[in-house]
Amino acid sequence: MNYHPITRRESIKKLFKICGGLALADALTWPFQKTISAWAGSTHKKFIVEGIGRNHEYSVKALVGKVFEAAGGIHTFVSKQDVVVIKPNISWARSPDLAATTHPEVLEAVVELCQEAGAKKIRIADHTIHDARRCFAITGAGMVAKKTGADLVYPRSSLMRNMKLQGHRLDVWPVFLPLVEADKVINLPVAKVHSLSGLTLGMKNWIGAVGGRRSALHQDIHLTIVDLAQFFNPTITLIDATRIMVSNGPSGGSRSDVAVSNRLILSDDPVAADAKASGLFNFRPKDIGFIRLGEKWGLGTTEFQKLRQHKVII
Amino acid sequence: MKANHLVWIRRVSQTFFLILFIFLLVESRLPQDIYLDYSIALDAKQNIELDYPVKYFFQLDPLIWITSLISGHQWIKGFGWALGIVVLTFFFGRIFCSFICPLGTIHHMASYIRPALKKQRMVSANQKHSSQRFKYFLLILFLMSALLGLNLTGLLDPISFFFRSLALAVFPGVGTGIKELLDLAAQSNIKILNYISYTGEVLISPVFGYGYKAFKSAWFIGILFLFILFLNRIRPRFWCRTLCPLGALLGIFARFSILRLEKDPEKCTNCNLCLLSCQGAASPMPGQEWDATECMLCFNCFNSCPENAIAFKLAWPPRVNKKPDMGRRAVLGGLLAGLSFPLLGRLDGRLHHVSDARLIRPPGSLPEKDFLKLCQRCGLCMKVCPTNAINPTLTEAGIAGFWTPNLIMTQGYCEYTCTLCSGVCPTGAIRKLSGKEKIESPIRIGSAYIDRGRCLPWSGNGPCIVCEEHCPTSPKAIRFIQGTSLSLTGKKMNVKLPYVDLKSCVGCGICEFKCPVKGNPAIRVIAAGESRSVANQILLTL
Repeated sequence: MNYHPITRRESIKKLFKICGGLALADALTWPFQKTISAWAGSTHKKFIVEGIGRNHEYSVKALVGKVFEAAGGIHTFVSKQDVVVIKPNISWARSPDLAATTHPEVLEAVVELCQEAGAKKIRIADHTIHDARRCFAITGAGMVAKKTGADLVYPRSSLMRNMKLQGHRLDVWPVFLPLVEADKVINLPVAKVHSLSGLTLGMKNWIGAVGGRRSALHQDIHLTIVDLAQFFNPTITLIDATRIMVSNGPSGGSRSDVAVSNRLILSDDPVAADAKASGLFNFRPKDIGFIRLGEKWGLGTTEFQKLRQHKVII
Repeated sequence: MKANHLVWIRRVSQTFFLILFIFLLVESRLPQDIYLDYSIALDAKQNIELDYPVKYFFQLDPLIWITSLISGHQWIKGFGWALGIVVLTFFFGRIFCSFICPLGTIHHMASYIRPALKKQRMVSANQKHSSQRFKYFLLILFLMSALLGLNLTGLLDPISFFFRSLALAVFPGVGTGIKELLDLAAQSNIKILNYISYTGEVLISPVFGYGYKAFKSAWFIGILFLFILFLNRIRPRFWCRTLCPLGALLGIFARFSILRLEKDPEKCTNCNLCLLSCQGAASPMPGQEWDATECMLCFNCFNSCPENAIAFKLAWPPRVNKKPDMGRRAVLGGLLAGLSFPLLGRLDGRLHHVSDARLIRPPGSLPEKDFLKLCQRCGLCMKVCPTNAINPTLTEAGIAGFWTPNLIMTQGYCEYTCTLCSGVCPTGAIRKLSGKEKIESPIRIGSAYIDRGRCLPWSGNGPCIVCEEHCPTSPKAIRFIQGTSLSLTGKKMNVKLPYVDLKSCVGCGICEFKCPVKGNPAIRVIAAGESRSVANQILLTL
């Protein structure tokens, strides 16, 4: 290695080159800036995809694939060499059929898609409520990690780091590090009812991405959810509504609490995704406090006509 | 066989069993293979079971077997091993003590590797001492007390003692130390230190436990362990000679041992080398009668004799060896103490009147009276509990139940589907449950109640449904009624007020554990309503 420390002269030269380059690039694009932003407006139009499994024997994996295809393909969201962190909801040590947690088949399909897209590292991270090891085992997430080779991050206390959230309600709060140390974050919640917030969907899933006195968050649940959703701001949200928990949420525990819905909702607009999913429970989006507040604080929209809407049925 | 070979066989055997003991102790945990078979993960009815027979050493222990048999009047499955040890002892003496017993090995190492006493002082320390009768006192105490329905054996039984000391004090202590160091590294801004910290934690957590393990009164358990190790400086294997009730029991069975120390006084030059290395103070010198009941068959004397004046030989037909030197005082004292302890232990009224509200036993525990007949206080259930909820009691179960298991819900909670503790209990004081039985019966370990003065919605301090959210039963045992409470400004506010439905509550304690009111939570679990007690029920019918 012919490594040598950079000299002062070299560093100044480099600095000039960089500054000059930037200035040049900016000057060149200046005449087009208006038009560029107009294009951006159209290409960056957000989307919402609803996938429905009509066929009795449909494959969840195929449905996940189709849903991502309709949204432009996984390559749109995950680039080669990305560190992708997937945040499922595997908070409860409950088997997948009880709908308290993200279905392992959905999780597996998403991990595989990310692998296809050439992600460098795929991590599955959730700060569980029950003992993490039991959650990993019973929800099937452990099996997925083993099968696909994704990393399953154990939520140890030293991975919680105080960060400034700059929210409306939360200022400094311990955050589960892997979720901020990622190139792309995929939110992979399950849709279920919740006794206080009404529903547990995508935005509420971020309560599982922080540490500290989480149970105190319930004292102002909607605003704290919005604060967290704003902070974590995922690349995309895929809501697993293959089966949904319609009563006794969020922990459930009985098959009778579960309804089959055969749906997946994919969006890059966290508010829209939640709004769409709330319809499955016969809620109007604005009935749910955090959806209403999320829209108010500009995290997204509940008006689907503002988005590119797709429906995939297999 | 040459003496030297025997000594080496002993050392290999000791090492093997000590490693096996520690291995099984480490394996007394939630299985590490979280990557269960996919179909298992999809099947709610599947129990998570331990991979190894972690109670093996307890099943080898004749003292646990016999006292449980006396107090519990039942043959407990798996104790055929203990019977085997008894048979072995009949023929070959206290071979268990120096070939198998892991605590004996620790004492052997402590006394042998760096002996505190030298030459003549060691020789006189290894002379038989009248204090060695004390172990018979303890043995008789435990047997008598077991007969009256209180099984105290585990307090000083070597396997229980060693397991408890390692599992509740030594491992958590070392683990906490390492973890604090790693946490320090994790907080650093140097990336490489973070990685070292994470890797370190991944490596040590399976051994020392996840998170910071804590056990009430573990400091005392640890100090006691250090103390008995220290005793080896006064006399080698002080514990084995003087205190060990299992040693006393095996000593009695050794009376007819056919493996005997044969002496030839003609050859003896009184060099005292045999005494210098004697671990059991069993009078190996020619000229004294060999104490078969004290001898642990370490074969050191045989190995050290330069004149071949002593040798271990198989004697056939069997001859009766010297009878155990108990002393009348040890016998009478043991009987008297054994008679008194169970009776005195009941004077606090916990068994006949009202038990402590905070005495929450693990799920599947037998009724208190039967529980005290069988529980060895070994700490296996405490070690295996994944949430660290099970702790040794101090006073909750009265002095009779000292160090028996008790759930402390501010420290952990009982996982709804977990039945690990019931699977590991060596004597069945906690009966084996399946996850299905635990949920469907349901097995209740207590019931929750709300302290309205502390509860945030009830006291007008704002909304909070954390207890309801975590309640694992279906239908939920904690429900709320939309109501109003007076806020601190005097205005009425609309809140969800939590109520506990005693019919559904199983007392798992996750509500208490997760309650934002820390220390003395606003929802607490008490033992009332526990399935195992008929007297301790609240409702007329469930």
